[in-house]
Amino acid sequence: MAPSYLISPPTAPTRKLTILAQDPTVCVHGHILTAEAEIPYEALDPGPRGHRVGVIDFDSSTGTLYRPAAVPVRISNRVESVLGDPAFHAQNVYAIVMRTLARFEFALGRRVAWSFDGHQLYAAPHAFQEANAYYSKQDRGLFFGYFNDERRRRIFTCLSADVVAHETTHALVDGLRERYTFPSSPDQAAFHEGLADVVALLSIFSLPNVVEALLDEKAPKGEGLFIQRASLTVARLRETALFGLGEEVDPRRSALRRSVAIPPKATILSEAEYAEPHRRGEVLVAAMMNAFLQIWRSRIAKLGDGRNPRLYRETVAEAGRRAADHLLTMAIRALDFAPAADLLFGDYLSALLTADMEIQPDDSRFGYRATLLKCFASYGITPASHHTLGDNPGVWEPPDGPLSDAFVHFESLRHDPDEVFRFLWENRKALRLDDRAYTRVISVRPSTRLSTDGFTVRETVAEYVQILDVTVSELGALGLTPPKDMDRWLKVTLYGGGALVFDEFGRLKYHVRNRILNARRQNERLAYLWRHGAFSPAEKPARRFAAMHRLRASGGVTPFTDAEVRYGQVF
Amino acid sequence: MVRSSKPTGTTVRAYQVGFGDCFLLTVHYPARDRHVLIDFGTTGTPDGRDKERLLAIATDIATRSRGRLDAIVATHRHKDHIAGFDTAGIESPGAIIRSLKPRLVVQPWTEDPKARTNARAGVQKRVKNFRAALGDMQTFAGHARSEAISLARYAKGAAAPLGFLGEANLANRAAVENLMRMAPNDYVFAGGPTRLTRVLPGVKVWVLGPPTLLQAEGIKRQRRSDPNEFWQLQADYWRLLAGHVRESSRPGLLFPARHAVLGRVPVDARWFVRHAAAARAEELLGLVRSLDTALNNTSVILVFEVNGKRLLFPGDAQIENWEYALGQPKNKQILKNVQLYKVGHHGSRNATPKSLWRLFETRSTTASRGRLTTILSTMGGKHGHEDDHTEVPRKALVQALRRESAYFTTQELGSVPFAANAQVDD
Repeated sequence: MAPSYLISPPTAPTRKLTILAQDPTVCVHGHILTAEAEIPYEALDPGPRGHRVGVIDFDSSTGTLYRPAAVPVRISNRVESVLGDPAFHAQNVYAIVMRTLARFEFALGRRVAWSFDGHQLYAAPHAFQEANAYYSKQDRGLFFGYFNDERRRRIFTCLSADVVAHETTHALVDGLRERYTFPSSPDQAAFHEGLADVVALLSIFSLPNVVEALLDEKAPKGEGLFIQRASLTVARLRETALFGLGEEVDPRRSALRRSVAIPPKATILSEAEYAEPHRRGEVLVAAMMNAFLQIWRSRIAKLGDGRNPRLYRETVAEAGRRAADHLLTMAIRALDFAPAADLLFGDYLSALLTADMEIQPDDSRFGYRATLLKCFASYGITPASHHTLGDNPGVWEPPDGPLSDAFVHFESLRHDPDEVFRFLWENRKALRLDDRAYTRVISVRPSTRLSTDGFTVRETVAEYVQILDVTVSELGALGLTPPKDMDRWLKVTLYGGGALVFDEFGRLKYHVRNRILNARRQNERLAYLWRHGAFSPAEKPARRFAAMHRLRASGGVTPFTDAEVRYGQVF
Repeated sequence: MVRSSKPTGTTVRAYQVGFGDCFLLTVHYPARDRHVLIDFGTTGTPDGRDKERLLAIATDIATRSRGRLDAIVATHRHKDHIAGFDTAGIESPGAIIRSLKPRLVVQPWTEDPKARTNARAGVQKRVKNFRAALGDMQTFAGHARSEAISLARYAKGAAAPLGFLGEANLANRAAVENLMRMAPNDYVFAGGPTRLTRVLPGVKVWVLGPPTLLQAEGIKRQRRSDPNEFWQLQADYWRLLAGHVRESSRPGLLFPARHAVLGRVPVDARWFVRHAAAARAEELLGLVRSLDTALNNTSVILVFEVNGKRLLFPGDAQIENWEYALGQPKNKQILKNVQLYKVGHHGSRNATPKSLWRLFETRSTTASRGRLTTILSTMGGKHGHEDDHTEVPRKALVQALRRESAYFTTQELGSVPFAANAQVDD
């Protein structure tokens, strides 16, 4: 006999847990700003440990394991209460990870797996004594450090909502595009950092009451329900805590990471300072967040009757919330339209534009795509695609045909990598896949969206990669030009790949690819990797995110410590 | 030049200090030999009796120099180069050296407490920040060493190298003070002058390293839009890392003890705890290696020329320091005819870049007059691993040294005799 099921679920599908809206320094009228994060309900074990994330509070600097926490944890708004309770820290981390995960799943309409083998991501809220925090695939976890600042106050990175959301995003993007952590181009490493910041920044806007509080936090108390229109200029908004990241984590407290303030310059990406991935990622953030600001501003301009100098604070916040919401969904969905390997900023822009066009063909009301194009262009980033569909420049073009779906089963194509490969194989000439390379379909996933007529459309996205192992001496025959001082016998691995988007009928709508033997890209990549010592035999796939964040905190490599020793320079 | 002040030859006496450097450079003159002690320290002697060894060496130096040392060169502040100047205890090697009344102590500009530079004030601030960072790096090294102890419980393999490197980078205040006080100090920089020439008549001395901040910043790859901000960030970063150590010698518990789990790690947490500890050890090792490199790159690089014969003493300078030096055409001319090369950083991979090795025109695969002599002061099994090619001394390098030079290593010395001489004749 089949087991009995409960007729209806025991509780609501979501629950609310208290988190810090930004970090313990962000106070409004003397109280730490908290928020109620709404996250999927689940039966939790102490930790808290749930089906996707489990907090294990191990401090490797002291070799201490702290007791698993039982949520919900209640705290007062007093700083001591917040700082002194490890259970609250655990709850904060758990809730923000779940919130970020839920946001991705909402945008994509499906579950988002971690990139490692396992359902649960670990998180250590007091992992070590150092001003650092990182995601590590091989350790299946998020690690949050703690440290004493200049005034001897203890700072916990796990209490910074930005940092937790940022690290969670690394884990999520790694689950969606695992090739992005392989060394490739300055843009690719920068992309991970940039997108993580964008998610952290835009996520704040969906926290209830937070935007209202931070709009003009520096203004004297008493404005209450209203806010002066005059204080809502782009410049003033830029200065608020809403656009600053990781204030406490940066030792120079007065100069926190406020990428949105980077002045636009079309040549900025060719400057030496912006060659370093963490700095370069800030340009992506600047482009996105300035686009967001402009859209928010134009929404605000439409509020009220234009003559009243005051607006309802809540309405202004709501306008921001909607703009942030739309952009965040766009930013996440764009991953499905981004190439599987060797990402450049221009690729991501085309992916953004295409993803948005699919959801909302008419851009005329708020001009999201037009604004994005403009803002990205101001930082010298243009779409990788030169195609235009109707009024939409920069979107991906449809694949070359004619394509054959003979012998391919529609139902299987929606979930089976072998079926997708069958399709690739039949159409390899048309799709211009090099059949010398090892080709593998690494994922097939559903992508659901609401069409403009209210119907649910279920499409399929798939990723494949291509790998070619050759020696430098063979590159010439493949049409590539390696750097002159590379040893002839050195082994190199070339990567290519693509993202496939099939429509609801199983027809290929988009093929976003990197041809494995695209001379320009591969030559640039080889030159970049060669210069940065990536071919050194001792090069191990290290815990890259940790090193990246450390580099950011310390300002980069110094003239006395430069880890980039090129292969062949030493014995 | 007066005949009595024309050198008649040179002897380099290499002492067995295990992992470390200690060389007595003697320039012979008709009237009186002049002696320069180049480094004196160790992080581990073959028999483990470091203190005794250093005392014996100090005594030998006193004997050989007939109670009068002319100059000391402390290439950089690492323990394996300055431990012998320590004055702790009733009888100390540092006190013996001091009693030899050297006339000059040569150190890199990074050691100058007044952070003097002949550039503008803005640069002086950068120099102060850089020096502060160097000091904090050493404080942090101590912290890393303590953490290694607690990590060893969960990740033994990763903790061991951490312990060694941490120890090697600890500050040695007594030695540093002794060096500062025992004689007038000469702080040198690449391309700059040195008062060694006054102490050694008829001898030319070139300083090839370390580069000043301005010189280092001039290297194309390093150019930044705001070097002031960069060095401020560096200083802040290392101060932060070092800062918590001042609270206590070991980091304490974050929260009251009642929050902690005692006893064995619960089975469901074990995988993660092991991994977290290993990850931390690897991270710390990366940090400590980075600061170890920074300190190595403050090394003084000297070339002495006696009667046309050149001797190269680069301390532990690594590829970054050499990058600047080798970028100057004048230096390439100087280095072409080096007769004696004290192998950098105990034979590590990064301290003898191929571009440097290939410059030496005196290399030869056959024993001949004028063939390059190389001296390596080192001990195997202390530093680095073969699997990632970081072993010190580096096998491939030693092969090249053996093949193309008259090669000598202190590893062949053992405990007795504990030194050997190399003559550099006309």
